[in-house]
Amino acid sequence: MVALSVAAVLAVFLLYTSFAGGATESLRPSQIVAGDYAGKGVQLAGIVIGPVTGDARGSGLRFRLKDFDGKQTVPVVYKGSVPDLFRGGRHVFLQGALENGTFVGKPDSLVTKCPSKYAPKKTSSS
Amino acid sequence: MPGLGRAALVLALGLVLYAVLAGGYASLSGRRRLGDSARNALVAAFVACLAAGGVLLAAFLTDDLSFAYVAEHSSRDLPARYAFTALWSGQEGSLLFWVTILTGMGSVAVLLNRRLVAEVLPWTVPILAAVAGYFVIVLVFVSSPFETQAAPIDGAGLNPSLQNPYMMIHPPMLYLGYVGLTIPFAFAMAALASKRTDERWIFATRRWTLASWMFLGFGILLGSKWAYEEVGWGGWYAWDPVENAALMPWLVATAFLHSVMVQEKKNMLRVWNVVLVALAFGLSIFGTFLTRSGVINSIHSFSQSPIGAWFLGFLCVIAVFSIAMIMWRLPILRSRTKMESLVSREAAFLYNNLFLVAFALTVLWGVAYPMVSEAVRGVASTVGAPYYNFFGVVFGLPLVVLMGIGPLVAWRRASLRQLGASVAWPAGVAVVTGGVLLAAGAGSSLLGMVGYTFAAFVIAAVVLEFVRGTRARKSLGEATWVGAFTSLVGRNRRRYGGYIVHASIALLLVGAVGIGVYGTTSIRKLEPGQTMEVGGYTLRYLGSTQDRVANRTELRARLAVSRGDKPLGTLAAGKNRYLEGSREVSNEVGIRTDWLRAQDLFVIADRFNADGSVWLKVLVNPLVNLIWISGLIFLLGALVTMWPDAREQRRLAKRFALARA
Repeated sequence: MVALSVAAVLAVFLLYTSFAGGATESLRPSQIVAGDYAGKGVQLAGIVIGPVTGDARGSGLRFRLKDFDGKQTVPVVYKGSVPDLFRGGRHVFLQGALENGTFVGKPDSLVTKCPSKYAPKKTSSS
Repeated sequence: MPGLGRAALVLALGLVLYAVLAGGYASLSGRRRLGDSARNALVAAFVACLAAGGVLLAAFLTDDLSFAYVAEHSSRDLPARYAFTALWSGQEGSLLFWVTILTGMGSVAVLLNRRLVAEVLPWTVPILAAVAGYFVIVLVFVSSPFETQAAPIDGAGLNPSLQNPYMMIHPPMLYLGYVGLTIPFAFAMAALASKRTDERWIFATRRWTLASWMFLGFGILLGSKWAYEEVGWGGWYAWDPVENAALMPWLVATAFLHSVMVQEKKNMLRVWNVVLVALAFGLSIFGTFLTRSGVINSIHSFSQSPIGAWFLGFLCVIAVFSIAMIMWRLPILRSRTKMESLVSREAAFLYNNLFLVAFALTVLWGVAYPMVSEAVRGVASTVGAPYYNFFGVVFGLPLVVLMGIGPLVAWRRASLRQLGASVAWPAGVAVVTGGVLLAAGAGSSLLGMVGYTFAAFVIAAVVLEFVRGTRARKSLGEATWVGAFTSLVGRNRRRYGGYIVHASIALLLVGAVGIGVYGTTSIRKLEPGQTMEVGGYTLRYLGSTQDRVANRTELRARLAVSRGDKPLGTLAAGKNRYLEGSREVSNEVGIRTDWLRAQDLFVIADRFNADGSVWLKVLVNPLVNLIWISGLIFLLGALVTMWPDAREQRRLAKRFALARA
């Protein structure tokens, strides 16, 4: 009985991964630049580096994303709604794909990591 | 002052360590007086934690910024009513809060069950003390709320999105739920250690489990309400890891509440129940860890977060300990009764358990996936809402069906024909509802139709049970219908309280389907004087205002709302810019609830342009208020199930008097 139900759950799982394609890879700027990700839909996570120019409702908001713990950056262009907490220095992630060296964000996919709900700021104090 | 707090924590550490050692030795050697002393040490540890909490609270109330924790989470202009919110808004404070509730609840639980603990389950005290000990060690050595510094001019302030009444009660609700699950865990493990694997641990902790489950469930919905109004993206649940953190133990606790009924009635599923209680406890610790450490998105933050390794180690200890205990006592734990039929009440409970646990585990897999994939392949992968929605539907819909069928199936063995006869009425209601909805134009979404008809099925089944029961009591000689109804519920609080909870879940489903598949969204840029139409509403943009209020600037777009020719007043949506501290900006949505049409008009002012125009995102959210109403009904049902019942106490006393004789 138990074995049967475990098997059933696993079957459902396989069904899902086969038809929905499973998970999105979540990359840091250094990984997307180094790897072969051109044109492939991924999630990019990093720290916003100014200057932030352009218009998210017009031709697109332009900024760069940097590794959390490195120097590599990648240019980003994004259209859609911009979270209130978005600004230089914030941890953000967004969906999209790398096209000609620029990460083109999927509209309305930009999310900032809530600053206080998760990690305390002084995580490096240990 | 910080010295006093630190001393209180060190004292608490000494007391819980004593409770572990003395309690353990007392359990091994059967020394009752030593056991009592260990229990008293646990109670004293609660007082010490309370004192430490008091010191921290006093520091918040007097704005003593020489406390690093106070400086980080408060500011001088923070209203006093948010002192409590600030107290648990960070890691250290919330851990202190955790251990205070744990020692408090644990003390009350062992004092209320004094005889049972002393004679039958002496291991309860050292197990509770060991869990508390872990948190006190972290508080004393790793993550102390009493670090001091040279006082800065002002504190960093409390995150404005947390300055909301819902955020004052949502975290403590969840914590009560997380912590409360320690009580059944400690009693279950004590039952294993003491070789007392009968149902006494279940009866002793039934209300603790129910209360924790109620706090978790209600806490999740309070969080949703907060997110709906304060985060303001237009939805209510986003499968965020922090939300899932509370959902997982809630699902497992729900499974446990059902499967213990099978053990009580049929003496089956005994191993399974202990597994569930350990899983629920492990998930509640995992949940605390997720909310409080920040290791969700990357395995790298393990090394960054000071408490990451501590939590991971503790989780491993819990897992190893629980598995070892269960394996060790497996021979005496195994049930001797077997399931007789796959069509019976106990089988329905079993299916319900499998779906609930499967759902909890898929959520767990989704939450842990970024960490697991990064550890295995070096690249973190995430799963998004489609993953959770898929499994929510695949496991959720059968659960809804079972919720309707389960109460109608007989125990032991039911024939399919009987079953068919008893579900005929609710099924008929569901079909009629489906027909009416199709005629009303709800056929645009298959999922919506399925959700509504299934919910109608459950509600009809619940109503049917109430009607049948009341009628039976009336024929037994109750004078009035009202009298028959109240005596029905009063005599079977668990059963009918449970049905009320079922109805609330069905309502939640209706609300979730309503906002999920029948909502409309429109995004437009408006110049002052321009209008837009959404879902029958007309919104005219009157212009924007900017006001300085206390510690913030309030930017608002003012809109005149009308429907047809009828003006419905004005609505404001905008942003608050906070002037001190980290200078946050918060989104202030405009919500107009239309009770008659059972929908919300939800306005987000996405962007204010320099030329006076504004980008608006306007949603019409149908039935979303059913979600909040279902939370209140859930609370009512849960309270009915755990309301004290003298008759039940007498029954239990008799049962165990017989068992002992």
